[in-house]
Amino acid sequence: MNKQIAEGELAVEVKGLSHWFGQQRVLNDINLKITAGQIVALVGPSGCGKSTLLKAILGTHPPSEGEVIVDGEVIEAPSRRVGIVYQHYSLFDFLTAERNVAFGLKLDSTSLPFRMLMLPKWLQLRQQHLERSREYLKRVGLEASAGKYPTELSGGMRQRVAIAQSLILKPKLLLLDEPFGALDEATRESLQMMLLGFYQENLIAKAEGRTPEYTILIVTHELNEAIYVANRVIGLSRFHDQADRGAMVVYDRPCPVFQPDDPKDVEKLVEQREQLRRAVFDPAYVKHHSKYVSFWSELAAQEAAVAGIR
Amino acid sequence: MIRQPIPAWLVYTLGVSGVVVVLAIYAALSIRQTQINPDQNIFPGIQAFGEGLSEITKVRGGESNPKPSWLSVDLRETYWRLFLGLSTGVVLSVIIGIAMGSYTVVEALLNPIVTFFAKIPPTAMLAVYMVVFGIHLKMYVAMIALGVFFTMAQAIYQAVKKDVDSDHIDKAYTLGASEFEVIIEVIWNQVLPRVLENLRLQIGPAMVFLIAAEWSFAGEGMGYTIKQQSKLQNMHVVYIYLAILGFSGLFFDWLLVQARRRLCPWFGE
Repeated sequence: MNKQIAEGELAVEVKGLSHWFGQQRVLNDINLKITAGQIVALVGPSGCGKSTLLKAILGTHPPSEGEVIVDGEVIEAPSRRVGIVYQHYSLFDFLTAERNVAFGLKLDSTSLPFRMLMLPKWLQLRQQHLERSREYLKRVGLEASAGKYPTELSGGMRQRVAIAQSLILKPKLLLLDEPFGALDEATRESLQMMLLGFYQENLIAKAEGRTPEYTILIVTHELNEAIYVANRVIGLSRFHDQADRGAMVVYDRPCPVFQPDDPKDVEKLVEQREQLRRAVFDPAYVKHHSKYVSFWSELAAQEAAVAGIR
Repeated sequence: MIRQPIPAWLVYTLGVSGVVVVLAIYAALSIRQTQINPDQNIFPGIQAFGEGLSEITKVRGGESNPKPSWLSVDLRETYWRLFLGLSTGVVLSVIIGIAMGSYTVVEALLNPIVTFFAKIPPTAMLAVYMVVFGIHLKMYVAMIALGVFFTMAQAIYQAVKKDVDSDHIDKAYTLGASEFEVIIEVIWNQVLPRVLENLRLQIGPAMVFLIAAEWSFAGEGMGYTIKQQSKLQNMHVVYIYLAILGFSGLFFDWLLVQARRRLCPWFGE
């Protein structure tokens, strides 16, 4: 894990978040800090409240208790600070790929009266938006498909466009809700590479003293994927010593991040996957809920070790 | 085999064959009827149609006071009523349908009313429209508008519920859309092809309501002339009017298909 990325500027903070559906408490006292440039994977058994947490961060379903702070502001409704890519329904059917990507720029930088009453200015601006849109499509390797409608694109291409659509607005946090779940293995792998590429760009930005552009929280049910693409993995589960109080963060540890072209350290990967599977998915393994919540302390230990060497 | 594709030439050949068969049946009936009664006008021949056409396109009145032909007056009256009625009905149904599909309060308030009135045949409401609006333009417009409104509002409401996923709406908010922009930029664009498809389906019923109303109350219009000419058994005029109604229906349908292809190329066929 890269220390610089972990220590960056705070992008998202979840404070004491709990949520009930009727009498049933689904989430219990979730506390999280995600710094700019982190790529965080969120895993957990089905029905453990991952989507509820994601919706709270997105702002569509505010929590019963606690708050989500993004860029210093409490999230109460969806806004451009938090982008989202869903497994399905990520693109607007009636727009071509380039217009889908430029859609946010249009909505964010102009109003309906402006577009109707200042048509020449709007058309001029539109060209700039489309140019930027094509730049982002190039970043995700789809410049050749700019004029295609979503129905003419494959599942993997659609998800790439959806990622570009969200990233063009430079959100403080990008949520990926099982984005590769419906894709075949090869496409999934190429998109994982794309995320690793983003992480590499974050490292370069940090080294140059810039704020990293990509802060991502990816929800996935694929443990290998979680450990492979993220630099931090968080496990949400009801299998802990306070199970009656709902799901809590029971796993929060750094991951060995690979560069896109690096060979995978399979041994490390398998070891962490087994630990994650047991800690988060095994109902028989009851432990103190914070046993594996050690991301920040491991970071501090790493820092101390580095300081000791110096 | 079910839905087995056939070559394009066969599609056109079969289409043309259907028309030829209908014309051939008509010609046979016309010849047979003329053999029985040379003065028959139930299945008039080509010559009679020529006379009928000349009759309805003839400029009336004297040279000093020329009046437009029956056909031009009827076309103007009928299609003006149709245009006003349909456009009013479509605008209302789009607004109400989208509002019902977007806001649960509006849905709860209007759904029972819209569903109830959609079940009443508009021709059965003719008496009400006549009493409320009189037998002038307003009555025809109201009948067509309300005739298409309830059915179309229901269809658009369903389209908003079914075609516009909540995730799309949330996504638009994350891209900086205001509530009004979500309606205009997302919901409207997503349901536009459904609106055009429903409009295609509503033109037929709208014509039925209009012709029925003109038949009963009008002094001018296609329905009125068909009634008058059928009383006189001038079927050579009646059939021409029916053909005009059929062709204009086909033309409007074609126009709406072109509009859908142009405005919603993403929707497919």
